[in-house]
Amino acid sequence: MAKLEGSFTVEDMKNVQINIGAVVKEEEEWDQPMGPFPKPQIATLRDWDFKILNRYRIFYAPADDTCTLCTYGPCDLTGNKRGACGINMEGTCGKIVLVACLMGTCAHTAHGIHLYHWVMDRFGDMKFDMGTEILYDAPIYQTVMGKKPRMLKDFGEGLTYIEEQVANLLAATHTGQEGSYMDFESKALHAGMLDCLGMEICDMLQVVAYDMPRGDPNAPLVEIGMGTLDQNKAVLIAYGHNLAAGAEAMVYIENNKLWDKVDIGGVCCTAHDLTRITEAGNPSILPQNLGPKAKVAGAIGWWRKMVRAGIMDVVMVDEQCVWCDTLKDCEERKIPVIATTDKIMYGLKDRTNDPVDAIVDDLVNFRVPGVVILDPMKASEVGVKTAIAVKPKRAEIKAKSVLTGDEFKKLVSSCTKCNECAFVCPPHIRISNLMEEAAKGNLEPFSSTYEVCVGCGRCEQVCRQEIPILKMYEYANREYIKNQKFKMRAGRGPAKDTEIRTVGAPLVLGTIPGVIALVGCSNYPDGTKDAYDIAKEFVDRGYIVVTSGCMAMDMSLYTNEEGKTIWEQYPGGFDGRNICNVGSCVANSHIGGAAIKVATIFAHRNHRANWDDIADYILSKVGACGIAWGAYSQKAASIATGCNRLGIPVVVQPHSVIYRRAFLGRADVPEDWVVIDARDGSKLRVEPAPEHMLYVAETKEEAMLMMAKLCFRPSDNSMGRMIKLTHYCDISMKYFGKLPDDWPVYVRHASELPLAWKDQMMKELEEKYGWKIDWKAKKIVEGPIRPADVSFDPTNIERKIRVRK
Amino acid sequence: MAVDTTKNPIPFEMAQIPGPEMAKAYPVKVIGAIIKKAKRPLLVVGAELFDDPIMFDKAIEIAKAKNMTIAATAHTIKGFIERGYTTNVYQIGLHPLTNYLRFKDWKGLDGQGHYDVVIFMGIFYKFANAMFSALKHFNRDIKRVSIDRYYHVNADMTFGNLAFDSAGYHEAIDELIAILKK
Repeated sequence: MAKLEGSFTVEDMKNVQINIGAVVKEEEEWDQPMGPFPKPQIATLRDWDFKILNRYRIFYAPADDTCTLCTYGPCDLTGNKRGACGINMEGTCGKIVLVACLMGTCAHTAHGIHLYHWVMDRFGDMKFDMGTEILYDAPIYQTVMGKKPRMLKDFGEGLTYIEEQVANLLAATHTGQEGSYMDFESKALHAGMLDCLGMEICDMLQVVAYDMPRGDPNAPLVEIGMGTLDQNKAVLIAYGHNLAAGAEAMVYIENNKLWDKVDIGGVCCTAHDLTRITEAGNPSILPQNLGPKAKVAGAIGWWRKMVRAGIMDVVMVDEQCVWCDTLKDCEERKIPVIATTDKIMYGLKDRTNDPVDAIVDDLVNFRVPGVVILDPMKASEVGVKTAIAVKPKRAEIKAKSVLTGDEFKKLVSSCTKCNECAFVCPPHIRISNLMEEAAKGNLEPFSSTYEVCVGCGRCEQVCRQEIPILKMYEYANREYIKNQKFKMRAGRGPAKDTEIRTVGAPLVLGTIPGVIALVGCSNYPDGTKDAYDIAKEFVDRGYIVVTSGCMAMDMSLYTNEEGKTIWEQYPGGFDGRNICNVGSCVANSHIGGAAIKVATIFAHRNHRANWDDIADYILSKVGACGIAWGAYSQKAASIATGCNRLGIPVVVQPHSVIYRRAFLGRADVPEDWVVIDARDGSKLRVEPAPEHMLYVAETKEEAMLMMAKLCFRPSDNSMGRMIKLTHYCDISMKYFGKLPDDWPVYVRHASELPLAWKDQMMKELEEKYGWKIDWKAKKIVEGPIRPADVSFDPTNIERKIRVRK
Repeated sequence: MAVDTTKNPIPFEMAQIPGPEMAKAYPVKVIGAIIKKAKRPLLVVGAELFDDPIMFDKAIEIAKAKNMTIAATAHTIKGFIERGYTTNVYQIGLHPLTNYLRFKDWKGLDGQGHYDVVIFMGIFYKFANAMFSALKHFNRDIKRVSIDRYYHVNADMTFGNLAFDSAGYHEAIDELIAILKK
């Protein structure tokens, strides 16, 4: 490293004060020159955004027809009318989308800010070291910031950058500021990119500080499911996304040898992160290999089910995706609640500065339903001590809180079949049918819809008979709950550089048909099993399947005929026919990060401060597609939008229309699909690949077909295109009973036709589409949009042209 | 006596209250007359048909009666193939279909031109509602008709909720088919 040294003298000067805010040293060790866009501002990447938005037309489905954001309102915007401030429906939708993306970005980034300060307090500054197999260690940070963090403290600059950008973006949503929907969407894409950065910073901080796996394909299998929590012990649940307090509880239990008395379970992403602690085996101030001692209680969709199942004694909530009625639910069941961050305080008293024993005494004797403790170490001690002390007192309450057979029967008979519940049930479960069957003694419908129920509880609120429907579900599924015991591979973190070197060429050429990323939450249209089915479909086909968050948890709840979970069926590498769990929500950043690493490690692209160049590479050459089949949150909106700015298409489930916006291509408009050949600057029409950027599918079958299609890239070689087309056609045959109508669009050469249908397809190309076929040579003479060309170098950016024609 | 399709006109998902312009529930004969009068209607059917497979047969009857193109969304095309009905039925996702519908320069599924009436049936409620909303705001030249078993607030014309009266709903659809055949 170049050392910058200097000195100055001040002579003959008195009463002079010199303030040195920061000494800036230019990092010289990096062999990449600084790219064009370090720390991009709102308008910096606007040209790139408009390239995306002009091809993938912004599609709005407004969730309401009015705007009520200022006192001129409500304004009726029906039919794209303008409101009093001059904004029309498109602009209003764009504004709401931007606000949603900012909510998501802020949630992840604020999580990172909390961890940043906590890590500095708890561990002190540490070397940012991802191990010898990950030298491209913070790909998003480097692509956005143009810098390489050396120490954890260096990430502070990234957080400060995001804060400034978010303030500017949010300012643009005020009435009388931005009015163009295109610019709102460009800003939303900017927010999405910031979200990627915030997530990466957050996960890198915890990976290093808590010594989590650094790209370990053999990260341990950990226990998941409500049945894994030992009911002979006190059960402490850590619920949310921020591991700080939950991790301290584990350390406290370990140091005080209390594992025989207390079990810890995580709900939502805190669960992921607790199970990753100190698994890498590096020196740490924390006890080694702590993670597998925690259990994954379940994903967000299981929360209300598990609280009703009576499987917990104390709940520590941290932040994000913690249902707002958690305190109410827990208070009714005498489960003490400890709020551990200032993002969720529930109106409880802040007891951070009170003595531990006094707080425990109040909680154990139910004098208060909960407390706020903002010091993670104190919160953890209170949590563990309270859980142990309250367990015997709760035994009787626990027994009363679950239904008896007689109570269940009485409730069944009280249903009047008014069907009010069906009008509010997100997956449209016909609850009255369940009741009707239960009255006959058949509980099977209660069982088969248990995984379909998203646990929202809206049915209970509208029930005129005040039937506790979720509690009835708990009764009907009590055996399943006891036996809900599965294995999940702990979050492994980023892809290793060596893995990228192995898969880079096959991915870009298409011989590995794509990367399928299953991310997000638990609001499935038709049950948690979809997560398993979708993952299995693609891993069986040889795609690289990566997953994270609640989808990773939910797919763990199913086994094959041999009783093996998906993690036990396939290896955990970043490779074809593998499935890897990268970790919690914030670990989603590693999926985009892996795509960046393909560009930089395999293709030697400079990624430093070079977002649009890298995104253009990914859009043109890296077959990847995300799916958020249970997406519910604003974080899911910002994650998807960040992927889109990076050139990665995303498919979402039908509830996602509430996000209002999609990016859809028009395959029928040839001029939308013209790209530049970087070799000589010539322009060429290509097949619509990928055809859409953000797509809502009605069913999982449609989603799977679309995901296979969205892995097509203009750069696929003929072998790769044949493989991708084979999967696309095969999925269509399997679930649709026919070949897809648009398969000829993706054919450039006879060798690209799937072998199973080759002759039939060539015949059809000739007879139905008028292509010229040389039957003797079995060649396509005329017809495709363009010929196959292995050296074709597609780009959408003028500055990538090497030699102008 | 014909089933009353104007009853219970509240959104099937109760909180779907969009604004001042909300659909009116009509008797079958009125909706039938509108479809019959349409110059280029499009019947859009979704995957809920698999939950009540007889609706595939009824969809085919409706399409034949009016010589109408069917857009089979999601994987619904499979149900038509199984019944040997493969002419004038196109496989397309509801999302790209609605995207095409909002553009006035679109030439239609068969390349013969745009549509003047779209008729939704058997589609996941929230998705159909949102796509009706997109058309309501961004292409008001298309008449939005729902013949589904739900009251669809963002349609122009819809049935009331018949979601819990399967026999009544089938009767309403049969009446519609009879009107179209006349």
